[in-house]
This record gives sequence, structure tokens and C-alpha cells, in this order.
Amino acid sequence: MKRSRNVALVLLGAAAFGVAGCVEEKTEAAAFDSKESCLAEASPGGWFTAADCETAFAEAQLLHEETAPRYESRELCEQEHGVDACGDQASSGGGGGFFMPMLMGYMIGQALGGGGRVMSQPVVRSAGGGFATPDGSTKIGGLNGGGQIKASAFAKAPVTKGLAPMTKAQVQSRGGFGSSGASRSVGG
Amino acid sequence: MQRIPLPERPDWRAEAEKLGFTFADMYGEPYWDETSAYSFTLQQVEDDIEDPCTELHAMCREAVAAVLASETLMERMGIPRPHWDLVAANWQAGEPELYGRFDLAYDGEGPAKLLEYNADTPTSLYESASFQWLWFEQQQAARVLPQSADQFNGLHEALVARFAQIFAADTDVHFAAIADAPEDYATVETLAWAAREAGLGAHYTDLDKIGITAAGQFTDSEDQVIGALFKLYPWEDLLRDPFADHLAGAGCRFIEPAWKAILSNKAILPVLWQMFPDHPNLLPAYFRDEAPADLLASRHVIKPIFSREGQSITLYDGKRVLEAATARDYDQHPKIVQAYHALPEFAGMHPVIGAWVVGEACVGMGLREDRSRITQDLSRFKPHFIEG
Repeated sequence: MKRSRNVALVLLGAAAFGVAGCVEEKTEAAAFDSKESCLAEASPGGWFTAADCETAFAEAQLLHEETAPRYESRELCEQEHGVDACGDQASSGGGGGFFMPMLMGYMIGQALGGGGRVMSQPVVRSAGGGFATPDGSTKIGGLNGGGQIKASAFAKAPVTKGLAPMTKAQVQSRGGFGSSGASRSVGG
Repeated sequence: MQRIPLPERPDWRAEAEKLGFTFADMYGEPYWDETSAYSFTLQQVEDDIEDPCTELHAMCREAVAAVLASETLMERMGIPRPHWDLVAANWQAGEPELYGRFDLAYDGEGPAKLLEYNADTPTSLYESASFQWLWFEQQQAARVLPQSADQFNGLHEALVARFAQIFAADTDVHFAAIADAPEDYATVETLAWAAREAGLGAHYTDLDKIGITAAGQFTDSEDQVIGALFKLYPWEDLLRDPFADHLAGAGCRFIEPAWKAILSNKAILPVLWQMFPDHPNLLPAYFRDEAPADLLASRHVIKPIFSREGQSITLYDGKRVLEAATARDYDQHPKIVQAYHALPEFAGMHPVIGAWVVGEACVGMGLREDRSRITQDLSRFKPHFIEG
């Protein structure tokens, strides 16, 4: 069947907006404690290559910096992630320093939809054992292993630099988008 | 492929009104028109639309990589140079796409021909995903359509699944559109339904109410920080707006991602022709200054690299103008030349097939038809069904 099952959508002007079950596809994944461990397992014929290890590691470092949780105190951070799991960071803009769990390793996953691409996700220590993705939604027992994992484990967590999304903030100026396209229809 | 006159559902206008589909008529002319519908065989849909469009999207992704690797090609894309790094980094990070719509010329027989790709801000999503499905179910119940009929329309489920792939559960996503445009709002609202079903928060803001904090984060109409933003507003305009310089440091995830700036303009058509010459689903296309004499001497179409809804398009036979779009807002942009491929004619109307891509696969279809050979903003939306 080529068609939707349940699409009785109503345009009420606002009803869609305001917070349901989702499809959980799985994919091939592997977790490593370092780039070197990944390189040791990579092979030209396997589902990930040495080049994939390099890019995935670089991506994981970037993602860790952007999305790892930030805490006001070392205590709070260690409560969530365990003793010695946290480092302190100079603040990136406005306000005092903060603490965040250190990058302990990363997961590499086969991208859905083919194309031979890999996805990457940093992992941090979880208090009580094991490791977790930055938003805590996926937990793994150990590193240097592999298997099937839900693909959503690789979804990018919300950025934690600066204020959290939906936080009320002091607005400096407004209206900086919209003037270039103002006079014409933007739909296509 | 046929155009079949069918009885309209008796109270469809009242139902549309109730559902909030307020633009079923536009400027006194029908927009949604169910006095007839197009029918296709399953083989036509699968072999001539669905599979080729999935392949075309993969080719477009290859083209994005090729453009980013070439300064000459990047210069053709109309992307302001200060933002090239933003676009390149966005592609390298593998930021995911949500949706796009291929516009195709197809008559049921030969391969479908790509006219253009609305990869950044396609609209008519509500009509394609929801209203035409409702028409289909109700016409089946009324026995106007046989029980064995079907429709190429997996849009809603695909959007839900794709949202869940892109964002972690409970992520708050903002949706922005230009204020006071009901058709644009309908597309945005349809997406928000899918986002909610995927377990995400969905929040609307008028585009011009977006603000900036001292730390460089974007805020919505309620002064709340935006972490993820779907924008029904083209990248080429965003990159020329005053807030463009805040994009790199705002920590805000955009849908469509910034690399769509390369696909959302028609300069990609000559690139595709260069990379995949003589591909059955492509029409010959060149940058205006590189167009071969024999193409310019025959029937061809000149399109500015930025234009929507057929604006500023001119159809030529050699130097003679055959047809020109009445709206000319985009006249000042660089041009491409594409070989002319006639739209088929059914009862004096010319249909264009809108094939929807969600993620990286083609999942549905929405048709529009026009009396003119150039599909414009008053073209009618036509339902379709599959039979045989």
C-alpha cells in the first residue's frame, strides 16, 4: 500500500503547536574509548573504514563540546556521572565557569538510508557504571564492543552552550530575519 | 496516466472550512479542484516517479559535495562568500535534511524529466499529505473510487519517522514563517503535527519576531531561546538578512540545514547535467554564458537561479518569446538555460508532478495543473489515485 494510514490533520491555526510514540529503527554500531581502538577494528571491507574512524572521532569531539550537559558545581556533575568524571570549563560567554563530564569515548553507527556513511555520537561516564550519550537517552554497558542499537541514539542532542532552549532571555534586538524576502511569496 | 472527471464530494467546501483549509479558493479561482483527478498505474508510480526521485536526491547529494569542492562552482551558487564556511561545515557535520519536492514533467510514457528541485522551502504540504488523502478515503467510501485503488502518499508517517531520527525525544523545535500567509502557515502546521507525533515540542514564531541575545542566541516571539528552528524562508534570503552573521555562533540547529542553500537554487541543474550527462531523468541545462548555440537556437527556458512558483521564467524558441511568467520579481538574478520539454496536455490543462522526498527517499506525490505551460502560483492542486 502506497498511502498513509492516519492523516486526519486539522489546520486550526494553533492546535498543532503547544508536545507521543515514535518509530524505533535499529542500526549497526560500535563503541570505542579512543580513535586508536576504532582504527584497530576498521577495515576497507567492513562497514566502517579508517577514514570513518578519523571523521567520527573529530565529529564526536565537536558534539561533546556542543551538547554535553553543563553543571554549576563539580558535586552536581559527579552525582550524575561519577567521581573524577568531570572537568571544569571557563565559560564561553557571560556568567561563571561550569563543570561538564569529560569525553570518554564515542559510538560510530551505520547511517540509515545507505550511502555508506557513518554517524557519530560522543559518550560520557554514567554514575553507577556504564556510559551514556550527552542527553542521557541511550546507555551502553562498555566501550570497545558493537552490536545493534536504535538509530535515534545518534540524533544530535540539544546544544548546551549558552542558555537552554525555551529559557526566557534578555533580547537585544529583533527583526533581523525576513527583510530580504519580505515582498514575495517564499513557498515553492 | 489519465485525467478522469469525477463527481465532487457534496460538502467538500464546508469540510475544508471546518478543517481550516481556508485557501481552497484563491483570488476567486479554485485552487483545490476535485472535478477531476489524475490516475496512474502502480508500475508508473514505482518505476517512473518513486525510484527515479530517490535516485535523483542521491545525485543531488553528490552534486552538493562536488560544488563545495570547487570554488568556481561555489561562485555560481549565489551564496555570499562570508557564509561559504558555514555551509561547508554544515555539510561536513552531516546535518540531516527533512524534506524537499521535485517538480517533474511526466506523461505516463517516457521517463519523468526534472524541471527543478524545491529542496529548501516547498509548500503545498497540507494538500499533498492530508487533504488529498481525505479526498481519497471519502471517495472510496462513496464508491466513486474502487476499493482496489490506492494513492502515492506516505508523507505523514515518513515525516514523523524523520523528525525522530533528526532530534532526540522531547527536543523543543521552533517553526517560523512569514506572518499572514495562510498557505505557508498550513505547510508549517502540517510539519508541526508530525514533529509532535515524533515526541518533540513544537513552537511557532513569526519570522520577523526572532530576536538575538547578547550571547548571540536566537529568541522567539516570547523571548525564549531557540535551539532548533524549522524555517519556511529561503536560505538565499536568510544569508542576506542582518542576523546572518549570528548564524555560525547561535548554537541553533536549522531545518533545512544550511547546505540546502546549494540545492535550493537552479544553478544545481547545470551542475547535475555536467556530472550526469544524458541521464534519462535530466534535461540539458547550462549556465547562460556556457549555453551551446544549438540549444539557444531551439526551444529553451531561461530561469533565474533564484525563483519560485514560476516567477521570472521565460520560454523561448530561438530568440522569440513563446511564453513568459507574469510575475517578474526575480528578473535581476543570474540565469540558467534548460532545454524545453513540453508538459503533457490533458483537456487543455498542463500537469506538473510534485514528488516529495522525506529524508533521502521519495514517499509521495502531489499534482498541480495550469492552463499555461509555466506552472505558477494560481495553478490548481489536483488529487490523484493509483489503479492497476
